[in-house]
Amino acid sequence: MLLDYDRLGWLRVALVGFTAAVAAFLLLPVVFIVLLSFGSSRWLAFPPPGWTLKWYQQLLADPTWIDAALTSARIAAMAAILAVVIGLFASFSLVRGEFRGRQVLRGLLLMPMVLPVVVFAIAIYAFFLRIGLAGTTVGFVIAHTILALPFAIIPITAALEGFDKSIEDAAIVCGASPLQARLRITLPSIRIGIFSAAIFSFLASWDEVVVAIFMASPTLQTLPVKIWGSLRADLSPVVAAASSLLVGLTLCLMIVTALLRRKLST
Amino acid sequence: MQGNSSRRGSVAGLPAGSGSALPALLLVGLFFIVPVVALLLRSVTDPEPGLQNYAALFGSGTYVRVFLNTFLVASVVTAVTILVAFPVAWMLAIMPPALGSIVFGIIILSMWTNLLTRTYAWMVLLQRTGVINRALMGLGIIHEPLPLINNLAGVTIGMVYIMLPFMILPLVGTLRAIDPMTLRAAALCGASPFAAFRRILLPLSLPGVAAGGLMVFVMSLGYFVTPALLGGTSNMMLAEMIAQTVQSLLNWGLGSAAAFVLLVVTMALYAIQLRLVGARRTGGGI
Repeated sequence: MLLDYDRLGWLRVALVGFTAAVAAFLLLPVVFIVLLSFGSSRWLAFPPPGWTLKWYQQLLADPTWIDAALTSARIAAMAAILAVVIGLFASFSLVRGEFRGRQVLRGLLLMPMVLPVVVFAIAIYAFFLRIGLAGTTVGFVIAHTILALPFAIIPITAALEGFDKSIEDAAIVCGASPLQARLRITLPSIRIGIFSAAIFSFLASWDEVVVAIFMASPTLQTLPVKIWGSLRADLSPVVAAASSLLVGLTLCLMIVTALLRRKLST
Repeated sequence: MQGNSSRRGSVAGLPAGSGSALPALLLVGLFFIVPVVALLLRSVTDPEPGLQNYAALFGSGTYVRVFLNTFLVASVVTAVTILVAFPVAWMLAIMPPALGSIVFGIIILSMWTNLLTRTYAWMVLLQRTGVINRALMGLGIIHEPLPLINNLAGVTIGMVYIMLPFMILPLVGTLRAIDPMTLRAAALCGASPFAAFRRILLPLSLPGVAAGGLMVFVMSLGYFVTPALLGGTSNMMLAEMIAQTVQSLLNWGLGSAAAFVLLVVTMALYAIQLRLVGARRTGGGI
């Protein structure tokens, strides 16, 4: 009866308790960081002696934090758009192509997700140093697009595999051009896949630290690089405020995703 | 399945339907394959042609210790992750959906929260004067603060935290695919819950555990951020050593050689993982 929730008996109490403990463990750092960001202690004492908004004021008054956030958003948006467009084209070929080596091609395009990021980071850094793209926005976008590509390809190919191609063929039989059929029939049908691809590729770039640490220059740094620098220097509460805003952003993204999924799938 | 239109899209001289993969192939070829191959070549040409970098890597006690420590940390993290993830995945597979969706929500929230944010939280929580030490001392469990950061304990806690979703989510799928009737049959035949667990539930979920475990192990081997922030200098891991060798010591030859070792080990383990889950289902919880 081990797979019957209602008949587990005493074992259920133990397992539900354990699951609740793990859920608390997963939630702990996220809740803690938000509480900490409102605490008045410079030394991160917890529970804090009082509550304050001054770390948020310091954060928002510091142009380097704002700059870093805007840089991150710009790079992540460009990388996500490129990854989704290039990934969409590649997915058609991966799902519908009839050629040998299709699985090899798939493996190759997904490889950036598997290879340890640090290996890619020093490889692309060395390469960009040689061709003059290190420390540039273009370099950042190219490197992040490569890392984001697998996160675009996986949901789009999954959606495309679930789409019945005969519907597209029917449109062509009825006089639509292949391009029209793809734009007006196929793309709207796989929009949930495309939407997931956009979210995941954006996050892949937005959260990326390792390549960014190598690629950053004094004039161009992303938010993770800025946080990384502050963490290595001291554990200032300003980082807690920045982190809490990121948690808020994650929550918004989760809610938007859930709502859009519900709306798109009806 | 395959209609005419997919052939129509083919570019002259290219196999049918492969044309639209060209941009991706160009991008990955030029900015992924070329740089990685160039890096690997550098390991045998920098500063001069030969295998001296590999000799230095495997001949030095310091670097061998980094290798061993990397495997030790990855093994401990994988083992703890499996032990913690299994009961949770088990419950998630059979819980009423209303209750389960709360737990799923928490897992997704933790997974999507910025990696540095989570690591920063653990740095503060695990400090000598941090909340965990204070709570334990307040409860009278310990009298001296435990060293929880800049050592194996810190890295393990921080990494298990990050890896748990990658183990739980696929494992839920494996456990849901098991037919509950097999366990009902075992109970009817008089098997004790323990025997049913050991002889039916565990063997049937083992492929999922092995695949997830291997993925966690591979990810842990090459992890950089968390070990660098929560680990100590005495137990450095390979990824941090590679970054440091290149960034601070500017020793590209040695760094490339270490990167090549990491690449070979990762790819070999990944090939085994593909065998376990089948090439179709890569990508974990996405």
